[in-house]
Amino acid sequence: MKKRSNDFLLGLTILLSLALIILVTLFLQETELGTRRQKVVARFRDVGQVTVGSLAVIRGVKAGSVEAVELEPGGWVHVRLSLDKDVTLPPDPVVLLGASSLFGEWQASLTPRRSVPAGAEVALQLAESAGGGTGILPGAVLPDVAQLTTVAGSIAGDVASVAERVQVAFNDSAARELRASIRNVNNLSAELARTVRVQSRNLDTVSVNVREGAASLARASTAFARSVARIDSATSKGEVQAIMRDVARTATQARDAAERINRMTLSLERTEVSLRSVMFRADSVLLKVHQGQGTLGLMVNDPGLYRNSDSLMMELRDLIADLKKNPKRYIRLTIF
Amino acid sequence: MVEGVGRYAREAVAGMGSAGRMVFGAVRASRDVRTWGPHATEQMMKLGVGSLPIGILIACFTGIVLALLASYAFTNAVPRYLVGTLVQKTVMMELAPVLTGLALAGRVGANIAAEIGTMRVTEQVDALETLAYDPIAYLVTPRILAGLVMFPVVVGVAMMVGLGAGWLASMGLLDLSSEQFLKGARFFFSEFDVRYGLVKAASFGVAVTAVGCAAGLETRGGAEGVGAAATRAVVTSAVLILVLDAFWAVVWLLGRSV
Repeated sequence: MKKRSNDFLLGLTILLSLALIILVTLFLQETELGTRRQKVVARFRDVGQVTVGSLAVIRGVKAGSVEAVELEPGGWVHVRLSLDKDVTLPPDPVVLLGASSLFGEWQASLTPRRSVPAGAEVALQLAESAGGGTGILPGAVLPDVAQLTTVAGSIAGDVASVAERVQVAFNDSAARELRASIRNVNNLSAELARTVRVQSRNLDTVSVNVREGAASLARASTAFARSVARIDSATSKGEVQAIMRDVARTATQARDAAERINRMTLSLERTEVSLRSVMFRADSVLLKVHQGQGTLGLMVNDPGLYRNSDSLMMELRDLIADLKKNPKRYIRLTIF
Repeated sequence: MVEGVGRYAREAVAGMGSAGRMVFGAVRASRDVRTWGPHATEQMMKLGVGSLPIGILIACFTGIVLALLASYAFTNAVPRYLVGTLVQKTVMMELAPVLTGLALAGRVGANIAAEIGTMRVTEQVDALETLAYDPIAYLVTPRILAGLVMFPVVVGVAMMVGLGAGWLASMGLLDLSSEQFLKGARFFFSEFDVRYGLVKAASFGVAVTAVGCAAGLETRGGAEGVGAAATRAVVTSAVLILVLDAFWAVVWLLGRSV
């Protein structure tokens, strides 16, 4: 009886222990027994450090895990994802593999093609992996930390090289020159500060003027808007067309007037030439008169002639008076 | 001194030879089920079920201490959820098998050596031979079989208890949520971790019981010889556990990645 009891207890212990171990293992592996899941296959040239069990995420939310990683002909690697049955794939999906942390954990991200990060390498991989057949999504591997670190290491090497060259170039004389330069820069910065203070005051004034100018412009624009509105209303009544016709007519008349003025100007020029000729001749005549040449010169310049003429005029006046008084003395009218 | 080194070397080689001979004899005697069968359950109960409390106690404290140690060691630069990773990996692959094995080496190895050694010095083993019983089949095979089966059971329970203790300690004593701990525990988990720990435990069980049986069967003298045999069994078992631990690490872990 005791032996049978021992057997039962031993069997129970072993079975319970096995069950505990299996359950904990399944729990840690997140295995879902009896749950239908949807499968998605993507193909890559390289899968980085993605392994079976790596997370599959959609927009950062866990949607499943990597179920298998298999080598395929033609240098391809197929990654089969096991997704929750309720998950809806994004439109035009692609699969991107990348590091999810700095500790070597990688994940597969299902993302729309339009949301793929910009980069020639990724686009090239997606273009190459497209066309794998029905149900096989294109995939690409994002640059991992190691690659970025390699680039950073290269940059650090260049910086070290530059620093070494700077160290060679930076001797005592260079240091003295640098100190002098720093002092100069200090003085320059002080001058600059003063200038800036002055200019800032000027700028304040300018800004006030600009503000006022802007206000004026605003008012002018308002007035212009009103004018435009008036023009618009005037246009609608046909007044502008009438004004334009009047203006055209006036322009024609102005052109005719200008032609007449032009002709008058030509005539005046000719008249001027004639006048100048007349004036020249008059001037020569007057010169001769002034010089006492000719009859008129003699008359103008000889006082005796003036006096004789004056006495002649007086005698002539007396004669005329006498003639009026005694016409028969001078006029004898006979018939036959 | 040279003579002492030579004597120790001879005894070590002779011990390994006798242990190998005994294991080989136990395997050969496993065909004699009628001889060892009735005693297998009793030995499994004594070695396995009786050892569960000590295994659970060790795993419980190990899990708690590991969680606290990981939290202390990880600075701000390391994510806190890696506490779960460290507890899971360390408990399942190393501490549960090795610490439980060492504890059972003291408990089981000394027990077997003292029991068989007493039978040897009181000539009960000779009486078995006189009664045409194979002492290997009667005494050694059921014990080695019990060690082979029950060590993984005890260690498996210890793994789960250690992980659970670390989980509870992380939530209760550390500012770590259950989700964070589980994330870390699942981070690098593989069923290989469990398989590796259980295979190691089985090898420890065979080593501890075989060494205990060999030490008991080679007991000479009276009570003093029994005590010496028990001590030798414990020390040799402990050393063998560490050697086997390194052996499995080299064989299975070298060049393997998660």
